[in-house]
Amino acid sequence: MSTRGVWSFHPAVMLAYYVVVIIGFMLSQHPVFLAVGVGFLLVFHFLIDKGKQLKTWSTMILTLAVFILVLTPVFNRRGNHILFYLFGNQVMLEAIIQGIMLALTLVGILLVFISLNQIISQDRFLYLFARISPQWALLSMLAVRFVPLLKKRLKEIEEIQKVRGFSVTKGSIKERGKNGMLFLQALLTGSLEQSIQSADSMSARGYGQQKRTHYQAFTMKNKDWYALTFILVTGSCMVFGWWLEDSVLSLLPVLETSQLEQREWVFIANWTLLLAFPLWLEGKEVAKWKFYLQKI
Amino acid sequence: MEILSAKNISFTYPLEEKPALKEVDFHIHKGEFVVLCGASGSGKTTLLHLLKQEIAPHGKLEGSIFYKGTQLEKQNKPPDDIGIVFQDPENQIVMDNVMEELLFGMENKGYQTEDMRKKVAEMTHYFGLTHLLDKKTSELSGGEKQKVNLVSVLLLEPDLLLLDEPTAQLDPIAAKEFIQTLTQLNREFGITILMVEHRLEELFAAADRVLVLEEGVKKIDAPPREAVAMLHIHPILNYFLPSASRLFLHFQPEVAPRSIPTNVKEGRDWLLANNITADSDMEAEQEATPIFTLKEIDFQYNKDTAPVLHNLSLSVNKGELLAILGANGTGKSTLLKVMAGILRPQHGKVLYDGKKQKNLVNMAIRYLPQNPALYFLEDTLMAEYSQIVKKHPVENGEAIIATLLDTFGLKGIEERHPADLSGGELQKAALLGTLLEDPKILLIDEPTKGLDPYSKKVFGTLLGDLRKQGLTIVMVTHDVEFAANYATRCSMLFQGDISVTEGTRAFFKGNTYYTTVMNRMTRKSAAPLAVTLEEAKENWRVQRKS
Amino acid sequence: MARSKKILIILSVAVLLLLCCFPLIISEHYMIVSLLIMGISFLPFMYRFSKQKLTSRELVMLAILGAIAAVSRVPFASLPSVQPTTFVIIAAAIVLGPQSGFVIGVLAAIVSNLFLGQGPWTPWQMYAWGMIGLTAGLLRNTLFMKHMLGRCVYGFGVGFLFGWFMNLWFVVSMINQISWTEILLYYSASFYFDLAHALSNVIFLFLFSNAWIKIIKRFKTKYGLFE
Repeated sequence: MSTRGVWSFHPAVMLAYYVVVIIGFMLSQHPVFLAVGVGFLLVFHFLIDKGKQLKTWSTMILTLAVFILVLTPVFNRRGNHILFYLFGNQVMLEAIIQGIMLALTLVGILLVFISLNQIISQDRFLYLFARISPQWALLSMLAVRFVPLLKKRLKEIEEIQKVRGFSVTKGSIKERGKNGMLFLQALLTGSLEQSIQSADSMSARGYGQQKRTHYQAFTMKNKDWYALTFILVTGSCMVFGWWLEDSVLSLLPVLETSQLEQREWVFIANWTLLLAFPLWLEGKEVAKWKFYLQKI
Repeated sequence: MEILSAKNISFTYPLEEKPALKEVDFHIHKGEFVVLCGASGSGKTTLLHLLKQEIAPHGKLEGSIFYKGTQLEKQNKPPDDIGIVFQDPENQIVMDNVMEELLFGMENKGYQTEDMRKKVAEMTHYFGLTHLLDKKTSELSGGEKQKVNLVSVLLLEPDLLLLDEPTAQLDPIAAKEFIQTLTQLNREFGITILMVEHRLEELFAAADRVLVLEEGVKKIDAPPREAVAMLHIHPILNYFLPSASRLFLHFQPEVAPRSIPTNVKEGRDWLLANNITADSDMEAEQEATPIFTLKEIDFQYNKDTAPVLHNLSLSVNKGELLAILGANGTGKSTLLKVMAGILRPQHGKVLYDGKKQKNLVNMAIRYLPQNPALYFLEDTLMAEYSQIVKKHPVENGEAIIATLLDTFGLKGIEERHPADLSGGELQKAALLGTLLEDPKILLIDEPTKGLDPYSKKVFGTLLGDLRKQGLTIVMVTHDVEFAANYATRCSMLFQGDISVTEGTRAFFKGNTYYTTVMNRMTRKSAAPLAVTLEEAKENWRVQRKS
Repeated sequence: MARSKKILIILSVAVLLLLCCFPLIISEHYMIVSLLIMGISFLPFMYRFSKQKLTSRELVMLAILGAIAAVSRVPFASLPSVQPTTFVIIAAAIVLGPQSGFVIGVLAAIVSNLFLGQGPWTPWQMYAWGMIGLTAGLLRNTLFMKHMLGRCVYGFGVGFLFGWFMNLWFVVSMINQISWTEILLYYSASFYFDLAHALSNVIFLFLFSNAWIKIIKRFKTKYGLFE
């Protein structure tokens, strides 16, 4: 697993960053703010894995975005600027802008989560979780460990039963569904019995005798504190911008211009700074490696 | 110094009348390596679990167990320094990655991060696990898993290590390595070991003492050689003994225990000391009619991984028992799945009775998996069998089931839940199920995994009988001894292709390393070359050199 | 313990009722208030479990059931929008009761998202499946849940409720600017998926709930768990 660039930070710092950015997307209802946000996230995805992970989600994201872009103006008829008529219905400029903002918010939030899954990997997530509730974390870890085991067993059951003439890929839907459930049932029975051994191995290693400690795989370094301070400062600034309504475009009663004015520039600069932070970290890493390779 | 002793312990499970253990009495000294053996159902696992209080079974316990001078039941907390490793490497693992798994016990015991780091670093270096630390536990091989389990227990610094058939699920090479590690722990670090095990062949050199349980009663408590002398006449446990001892005792049953050979080296010395002649060395060539043929098969799981089978051709003759041997990861199981029609090869032809297979899953070909428990979908054996007879209507289905239950020795347990059967019973029960579907060819994946030597013998004999009745059987296995005893032909799988196929005897005679204990012992000795013990017993005449 | 459980259950039911009724009273900050209420009804159960003393066997059993609920999607991958996760949670809750039903539901959500990727929907899924398990556990001794018809009605109902809940992540993200008509529109778009979920719940419960309940019960009594 990678431990350089953005991955070198403490998971709590990573989480704080993502929380702040998600709040940013929900609060900053302004097309320019949102577009800037989506743009930066796209570049970030390109930097971390050349957008591979993003590609697997692209169909879902695009479908949702188009769905909102098209349907919002059709159903939202509030506003003062009629653009044209569609099947006898007015289509408003406000509604179109709103559609764009909704779509951008949605795309932004999904992009944030896709990169979050790459940056805060399973073990980091469970580490964070363990700090909040050890019992929940332990239970989740157990379940996470069982998933590949159960999948393997389920595959074996499917293979064996296929030779016996029970299949989940051939036959009527009724048959397939029934066979699928029979396989799960066999998996349940077998796995419950086998789980006694797992439980015994836990008890034999002292589980439940005293309070557990938790191995601290991550420590807060100086750079983590700096990064956290930066995130909190820019984050507060962002919320302040929302409170002043500088990072919000008002549609009703009067449509505000999308052009940025005066103070709004300050807040967009702040938002950019926040978004550019991981880009800078990753970009630095990429440049450094290029440089090293050339030297060698 | 005594570390553990049991005084007259009897144990009865709830709702059962017969006690699982009856007045068992034994002592273990500090630094000893003791092997506990017995047939399945003899109470050995019960005994081992009783010694580890955290997992002691519920039931009525009489008598007392002393650990380091104090009675276990009288301590308010179970002792910290007894560790246990179980049979199944997979089920003991409770964490997703290796590092977490190693830490698990120490976290339970409240260790601080610094201490954990130090200890893990030390142990993983010593056991050569460093390269596995970041891996997912589900990606490890069986041998690696068991090693992780062992180290995870050792991190808690046990003085007494209990092991419950830890090598039963491993391949022979991993098993040997595991036993070597245990020997090292015992010799160099003075850890006391009590181990339930079937593989006496490898263990005899390491063990100080052998305890034998039979139906809950302690039958033998003696040094290995004496135990061998006593067990030799036992109808079940004699199969557990090393080949060298069994060979020797067959020809010279009345001797002092200390002259009994227990390993290949001692066996060879004995051969040298005798004049041995063999009656005949004939192998009847069987008539070969191919019934099932694979031609130029290529198979890979996906585009980016290396091919598992490559340009593989193989033909199976009618009425033979073909064993396909090969090391771990050579694609044995994959080959069997291709034959069964579970996997579809990318290239090549599969011909049954000279005709190309249209329907991949052929009714005449049946498959018995490595884990026979997964074969069952119903609650009881009987329900499963009735279901099969209903699905594949045969005349007198019920009568056939009854006869088969009888011949398989499964009568009386047909109403049990498959999960409650022993390994040997389960294997037979699944075999019975496949036979009800009246197959022409039976494919078996690793039939001896987890079976004790006696169950192996029973299962092997059963397969031999079925073959004589006309069933064609193909099995993949890494159990060399089993193949040598029951197969009629053997194939070697290497790098995705069959490298040799020969009659069993010729196959093993030609091998120097990958072969049976008997063959290793008789190779380059004065005695006639033998592959199996049975063969030597039948053909040899032994005379003492004067 | 038993008393605190009762109080907790009564409280959560009261909160749920409140959640359904209060738009009649205050309609202005509906979304925010309902989010708060959700949190209030959810966190006590999360907290309660994190303080509960469990044996390793009980813990492992919960983990296996949660993992099976999550994995149960696999054999149904070829049948669109059919997955027995909800069924598994209900069956387990009927045997093991509200607290365990809740835990298995939440766990199924956490685990499946750890493998499929966390999304803005994660907390909603945790809540929805957790509550499905909780209510199934609460109703387990009533005639309604003991009767197959009642069980199927429950499965049908929660199939839809689950879908509606899952749409909420979407609605909440747009909290500032969405109107009721739009919300209705989005909900109608998911109708067929929700229907498929509801119907498959009914079918699974009808055909398999007795067998599954029997298996889980047998295991529970065999090893004396959760007593």
